[in-house]
Amino acid sequence: MSKKINRRSLLKGMLGGATVSLGLPMLNLFLNENGNAYADGSTIPTRFGTYFWGLGLTDTPAGGTRWVPQKTGFDYEITPELEAIAALKNKVSVFSGFRAIPDTRPNLVHWSGHASILSGVAPAASGRFDGATLDTKVADAIGGSTRFKVLDIDASVSRRPVSYSTRTGSTFASPDQSPLALYQRLFGEGFQDPNSENWAPDPAIMLRQSVLSAVTDQRHSLMRSVGHEDQIKLEQYFTSLREMENQLAVQLQRPEPRDACVLPRSPSELERAGSVDVVNSNTRVMARLLAMGLACDQSRVFNFVHTGGTSETYIAGQSKIYHQITHDEPTHAQLGYQPETSKLAGLVMEGFGAFLEELDAIKEGSGTLLDNCLVLAFSDTGYAKIHSLENIPMMLAGGAGGRHKAGQHIHAPGESVTRVSLTAMQLAGAPAGEFGTGSMRTARAVSDVIA
Amino acid sequence: MKSARLFVLTLSVGVVLHVAAHSTVVIADDSTLATHKEPVVVAVRRLTEPQYRQSIEDIFGEDIQITGRFEPERREIGLLALGSATLSLTAAGFEQYFNLSLDISRQVFSEQMRHAVMPCAPASPAEFDRVCAEQFISTYGEQLFRRPLSSAEVEARLDAAALGTEQSGDFYTGLQLALSSMLTAPEYLFRIERAEPDPENADNWRLDAWSRASRLSYLFWNTSPDKELLAAARSGELHTENGLNAQVQRLSSSPRVQDGIQAFLVDMMQIDGFDSMIKDATIYPKFNQLVADSAQQQMIRTLVDLLVVKERDYREIFTSNETFLNRPLAAVYQVPFASSEEWAPYTFPDSAERSGIFSQIGFLSLYAHPGTSSPTIRGIKLHEIFLCEHTPEPPADVDFSSVVDSSAATSRERLLDHMSNPGCIVCHQRSDPPGLALEHFDGMGQLRKYENGQLIDVNADLFGNKFVGAQGLGQFLYNDPRASSCLVRNVYAYGAARMPGSAERPYINTQIERFAENGYRVPALFSQIALTPEFFNVVIPQGAQQNTNNVASAASAQ
Repeated sequence: MSKKINRRSLLKGMLGGATVSLGLPMLNLFLNENGNAYADGSTIPTRFGTYFWGLGLTDTPAGGTRWVPQKTGFDYEITPELEAIAALKNKVSVFSGFRAIPDTRPNLVHWSGHASILSGVAPAASGRFDGATLDTKVADAIGGSTRFKVLDIDASVSRRPVSYSTRTGSTFASPDQSPLALYQRLFGEGFQDPNSENWAPDPAIMLRQSVLSAVTDQRHSLMRSVGHEDQIKLEQYFTSLREMENQLAVQLQRPEPRDACVLPRSPSELERAGSVDVVNSNTRVMARLLAMGLACDQSRVFNFVHTGGTSETYIAGQSKIYHQITHDEPTHAQLGYQPETSKLAGLVMEGFGAFLEELDAIKEGSGTLLDNCLVLAFSDTGYAKIHSLENIPMMLAGGAGGRHKAGQHIHAPGESVTRVSLTAMQLAGAPAGEFGTGSMRTARAVSDVIA
Repeated sequence: MKSARLFVLTLSVGVVLHVAAHSTVVIADDSTLATHKEPVVVAVRRLTEPQYRQSIEDIFGEDIQITGRFEPERREIGLLALGSATLSLTAAGFEQYFNLSLDISRQVFSEQMRHAVMPCAPASPAEFDRVCAEQFISTYGEQLFRRPLSSAEVEARLDAAALGTEQSGDFYTGLQLALSSMLTAPEYLFRIERAEPDPENADNWRLDAWSRASRLSYLFWNTSPDKELLAAARSGELHTENGLNAQVQRLSSSPRVQDGIQAFLVDMMQIDGFDSMIKDATIYPKFNQLVADSAQQQMIRTLVDLLVVKERDYREIFTSNETFLNRPLAAVYQVPFASSEEWAPYTFPDSAERSGIFSQIGFLSLYAHPGTSSPTIRGIKLHEIFLCEHTPEPPADVDFSSVVDSSAATSRERLLDHMSNPGCIVCHQRSDPPGLALEHFDGMGQLRKYENGQLIDVNADLFGNKFVGAQGLGQFLYNDPRASSCLVRNVYAYGAARMPGSAERPYINTQIERFAENGYRVPALFSQIALTPEFFNVVIPQGAQQNTNNVASAASAQ
């Protein structure tokens, strides 16, 4: 019996060590050539995230637009619906004209657009994707050494949790939906202050590891007799289990000091209303917590949802929701566009502006946290009134540790959205040579924005 | 590093051997030894939150506190039960279940509780007692996994317990790890159904006895099989007609059947989403979370009382004006509440226009926008929930640019304005009429006769079927044969985790006829379906095993 204990203890020690050392070589992936580093010389990692908002931005039936700048390249002009990013436009590249191409697949309204951007495939049916989303690929590459491989956040105050991150195509991530939940996840039990001087490993964590290894031991016998679909599900289960193992292994390591990391105060409970002002203030509070979570190196990859695809947000006191307005509102005869819709689009973009401000507010190295992030921001649709898959607004924000030549407007009508997706993956440090299927398959990143 | 890998390898070989030995134990009948086929997994269904909670309560007692966030569920073809067979566990979800497992084991082995739970006492509380640990793991493992554990599965937990005891100097701390590991295992978090070769016909597959026990237990009680059911699985009794009869009789005559049927009704009627319902406070100042929760309770109480307690004709859910009220609801319904009880029975007068489950504020507020009613959403949901008629996704190429905003006073007129658009009319002529009949109820379900000063017309015409208001809609649904066939198919799909296929249509039709003959009583329907061999049909999934026929039926012997 005692032999068994020792053998297992030995195994435990070795596996624990192995998990830890696995994370370390990956650091090379995001070493940047600009030498962006902490005061003590250690490298600042690049973080990657997605930011989603629903219902696109406004085009006009006559072929005009409320958001695409006239000027391409650097120093593009600020259009009405981009007002919210004006202060940070040098850190944001705007991509216009890109489209999702479903080939023989239908245009699933409020679904095919972002499914194409994230998975590279136009899905066969709503509610599912036909491939894993790109954030999981980036997380596999750069997310292994932190406590949370990915943080999923939903600020939309919707009826159901909104997440578009999936490994299987059917099970989507379960996001934190309130500032309090996000705070507790990041800074509650299990948080280790990287700047604490009296750090010691918690022996209880080692015991927890044995809980998981007893489960993993049985993996093979379970997987032997399952069909394809169940196999995919169970693989996802074991992937999640491994992330938990990794989380425990990380907690057994002394964290590297992080200058910018300051434990935030617990936020108060959220007001349960879905109006755009509430969603925006929620976005700001959750972005602030996320930013500190990144600064404290609790995670390096995130998915942030402002509003879902068929956005239910509204202007407080107005009986119609944004989604209805995009379809019902006529084009104004003199203005040539839908004024209410465009106003709401502008308000929704204020959420993105607030989000970026929070990432930019944290000083890191010689710049800000945003300079060390790469955020792929996008929506489900182009011109929402007609469920257009053309001209879906996409942006890349943040410097990616110096690799993103930010602050440009790239206009490429008819090009596949997956080119921007691929660009984002490469800037984030994922080993991706190509992305997408069918007409959306591409090996061409948008090289203009890559340093 | 190398030696660690080597060790893992030998360990997994050990696992294979153990399982091989185990499977011959499961198949009790000697004749099956002739076949080389091994059991295959035919369904992997994630436990729902109520199932998780009820299982823990049944196994460890009601004092265990379960606090944590559960993964969101997913509805497929109208049922969460079908969605549960497509779901896995995300990293954030796993983290939650893992923390829950640690928390539950801590409580189970607390000073106060451990004596009630332990089947034995260790020789010394400070040292590892292998025999006692094994007894605990086998006993509770069987209840948690809903089948006996293989020796490898026991062994893995014994290792964790031994390690924990050694490091902490406490036997119970060691057992906590073993229990946590079972609570974290896919065999607990998912209902893993297995099929085995049918001993009476080697070409056929049948659901194994443990999986049969689970199907019955979750159908009738919405929880893990109890000891008696597990015993009936172990003895092989569940494969016999008499054994099955006895268990169905026992399960269906227990008061707990109310939990099972309620869980089904909540799933089918989609009575969920109330804790995240959003209403605009300036438009509906009476709305708050207490009202939302009460509205949900009202729907559940009404249905359970009518269908399970009183065993009335299912179709009365469309016409009955009997319900229950509490104080917050009475305020919204604008009726006096004089009872000293929290809930009191109440019968709506005709003038209230509240008959049928869909005329309660739960349904009406759930299927509306934050600041307005929605005849379209209500109509889509009425079709989907009660008639199993799913509205297709709106086509992407509808020319919305020709849609102009209507300045008409009522929702009805605004919708009818859109009806001139041929792209819209295809779906809206079907989805809207039932919803238009409910337009006397605003976005949170309050009665109104006027909208923007104009009298609301609640006449509806659904492909020539004309009806007026909620009462008229209820009568229409009462007489529609699709309603009862929808229920029968849903009961089957809910229990078997798949919609009956086209080959099973004659079977379903027979069940529908018998349901009618039995006076449309839902509890009788549950027993009736559970007693048919078809309820235990399995479909061997692609890739699970070569050389098998695709649909195997336990009924084939008949």
